[in-house]
Amino acid sequence: MLEEWRLIKVDLGSGAVEKDVLDTRYVRDLVGGRGLGASLLTPFAIKGVDPLDGSVPLILAAGPLTGTGIPSGDRFSLSTISPLTGTVMDTNSGGRLGRSLRRAGAELLIITGRSPEPVILSLEDGEVKVLQAKELWGRTVSETVLRLQARWGKPAGMSVIGPAGENGVRYASIMTERMRAMGRGGAGAVMGSKNLKAIVALGKGMVPVHDRERLQVVLEESNRWLRAHPVTSKALPALGTPMMVKICTRAGIFPLRNFQGVAVGEEQAYTGEELAKRFTVSSSGCTGCYIQCGRVTEVDGSRGEGPEYESLWALGPDLGIEDLKKIIPAAHRCNELGMDTISTGGTLACAMELAQRDIRPSGVRFGEAGSLMKVLEDIAYRRDEGDDLADGSMVLARKAGALQYAMQVKGMELPGYDPRGAQGQGLAYATSNRGGCHLRGGYLIAREILGIPKKVHPGQVLGKGGHVARAQDFGAVADSLSVCRFATFALAPEYWSRMLNAVTGWDVGGEDLIRAGERIINLERILNLEMGVGPDTDILPPRFTDEPLAEGASSGEVVHLDDLLAEYYAHRDWPGGVPSESRRKELGLHEKRGGVL
Amino acid sequence: MKKEGESFKRMVEEFTRVGRILFEAGLNNSHSGNLSIRVGDRVVVTRRGAMLGELTAGDLVDVGLAEDDSGIALASTEVRVHRAVYAATSHLALVHAHPRTATAFSMGRDFIVPVDEEGRYYFKRIPVLTLQASIGSDDLERELPAMLKDYPIVMVRGHGAFAVGGNLEEGLQITHALEWSCDILLRCLALGMKEEILIGDRTHGKW
Repeated sequence: MLEEWRLIKVDLGSGAVEKDVLDTRYVRDLVGGRGLGASLLTPFAIKGVDPLDGSVPLILAAGPLTGTGIPSGDRFSLSTISPLTGTVMDTNSGGRLGRSLRRAGAELLIITGRSPEPVILSLEDGEVKVLQAKELWGRTVSETVLRLQARWGKPAGMSVIGPAGENGVRYASIMTERMRAMGRGGAGAVMGSKNLKAIVALGKGMVPVHDRERLQVVLEESNRWLRAHPVTSKALPALGTPMMVKICTRAGIFPLRNFQGVAVGEEQAYTGEELAKRFTVSSSGCTGCYIQCGRVTEVDGSRGEGPEYESLWALGPDLGIEDLKKIIPAAHRCNELGMDTISTGGTLACAMELAQRDIRPSGVRFGEAGSLMKVLEDIAYRRDEGDDLADGSMVLARKAGALQYAMQVKGMELPGYDPRGAQGQGLAYATSNRGGCHLRGGYLIAREILGIPKKVHPGQVLGKGGHVARAQDFGAVADSLSVCRFATFALAPEYWSRMLNAVTGWDVGGEDLIRAGERIINLERILNLEMGVGPDTDILPPRFTDEPLAEGASSGEVVHLDDLLAEYYAHRDWPGGVPSESRRKELGLHEKRGGVL
Repeated sequence: MKKEGESFKRMVEEFTRVGRILFEAGLNNSHSGNLSIRVGDRVVVTRRGAMLGELTAGDLVDVGLAEDDSGIALASTEVRVHRAVYAATSHLALVHAHPRTATAFSMGRDFIVPVDEEGRYYFKRIPVLTLQASIGSDDLERELPAMLKDYPIVMVRGHGAFAVGGNLEEGLQITHALEWSCDILLRCLALGMKEEILIGDRTHGKW
């Protein structure tokens, strides 16, 4: 039976270190990773909180399956308050850090305060050290990782920030090792505000498994279906996420030029197939993952990870750039600088449209790839126009008096799926707890476009509220178990509950997990409400609700957001968009959580 | 709930399609079975006595998830079970059918264990719920939701199957797959094969 959940709290301001053990009831109620992270943020969810003043913690949280050898499960979660959206945010990553944290003696690492000078936080077999990092400050991600690996060795898990995080870019990422990005929402800027350049963990401890024989039985069943499912066994290993370029184009939802139109036809030069044929050196993936969805690509001697589908779109067609030779180095550079590719592209696309409409002058223009690499540096170092762009599209457009041209929700730039051709995805964007995110919204693209687990008509409105809620709840479970969303394509909740039972000795069913996911979504919603992010922000840019798509398979469509929201709120028992008292009570959220801090 | 427009039309078509397939595949007789989906805080359910093979918009009734309104007077006898399942689980659709072979197997066992590959993927095993009285009963309303938390389909002994999912098609698929698995098992037994050998250690208590 899982008996302890080890917590280490480090105050970078005072250097104080506290060790504690968390009551496993919390873990059971909230599963782990994302759920626990949200709970621990409760004391900080105050209106007017500044995520960059050093007071807000960074919470690294393993899931109960992290490091146990389950498929696509060597992940961990990081929670904080987003400097981009002002909401609670979580982000997660594969790589070695999740497993290393547990082996080094912590399921939870809570980092508070601000160091007076740049530091590295290391955890080695239970021993915490705060080490100076002056010689690393200002270095790119790979420069930093190589130096850390030279000291701690390649088996060490590590997360680092690049120049974007150091300079407070509001969508700065944290990179795990060189290639795994914890993006969306600007956790890298929070880390930078603490003068924390890197987190390193290394340990020799074993991750406990309650019943290894039972886990083996469940893993055998699970692996059969991961290997049988065409998405996890064929498409992702062969093409990576850029497999979605053709699929989304055919569905009429692949956006162009800041969502001013969608791609049509079959002649695109930036498909997953083209990427694989011309530029992919090898596939790559997270530790212990069978799928290996990552791409290692090379252009003119520049080798790096990606681009993933979203990066390819955001730094390419969304900017009017269709040449993979220009897109790939831009994606690599974002990783080196530690910047979220979707928000980088979305903010640039907004600047380009504002310039196109003569609303705001800019050094960047649709289709002009020549200025792209320079402006990425300018953003990361907050130079010239880059200083404005570093605050994201919402701030940029609002300053220009033209908020409607920022393709964002709650301040987070939207990913590469036009919601006019996928009603559920539109609702998902509007209601995602961390802003306009495809994943936290519930990734309705799986249901509406890929037919996973069953196809639902993308144009359907009636009934979509429940689909979105269910997908969000299951997503929250996956993020809290700390497993990859792709593995959930092939494995239903009952598979994950059985893995969890084998690892922990608990006895939970698939529906118990979904209920825990609902608890997490409601908790995040409540925290957002306390920070002043309420139902008035469950909106979409007017382009999606007022301007029908002009061409493609979804031509003539707009998002019917009012109808979708009404049903969604009714499904969740959120009258007016606020969780009802009875719902809070049923989910055990009527009392404030977070007492463990 | 808007009862007009493309979205409503698609919903009716889905009920009609699934109801027709259930009937044509022999999973229901002319007047057996019922279907529902959850829409927000409402349940859309087939009318009492509706012929699932010939559903039209007039055969669909919407009722409150928790509160009774006039729709309840027209709804299927099993509506209380549908509501109880939605209240207790995250499922969005429920398909109730009377598959013959599965019902026959339900008479003499507590679990049906598929021996075919597809059945193994979907179910591993299907529990059989035994009740004194099942049609529209308090016992069914009380017992079934808890079982559907851990299994996508449950057989009620001598009565029929209750399958859940994200939409009606998912419930149809599971119902049909169960009947198919039972038919294969029946044929294997008819050919003289031993069930315990066919099943082997597949249940082994560890799943």
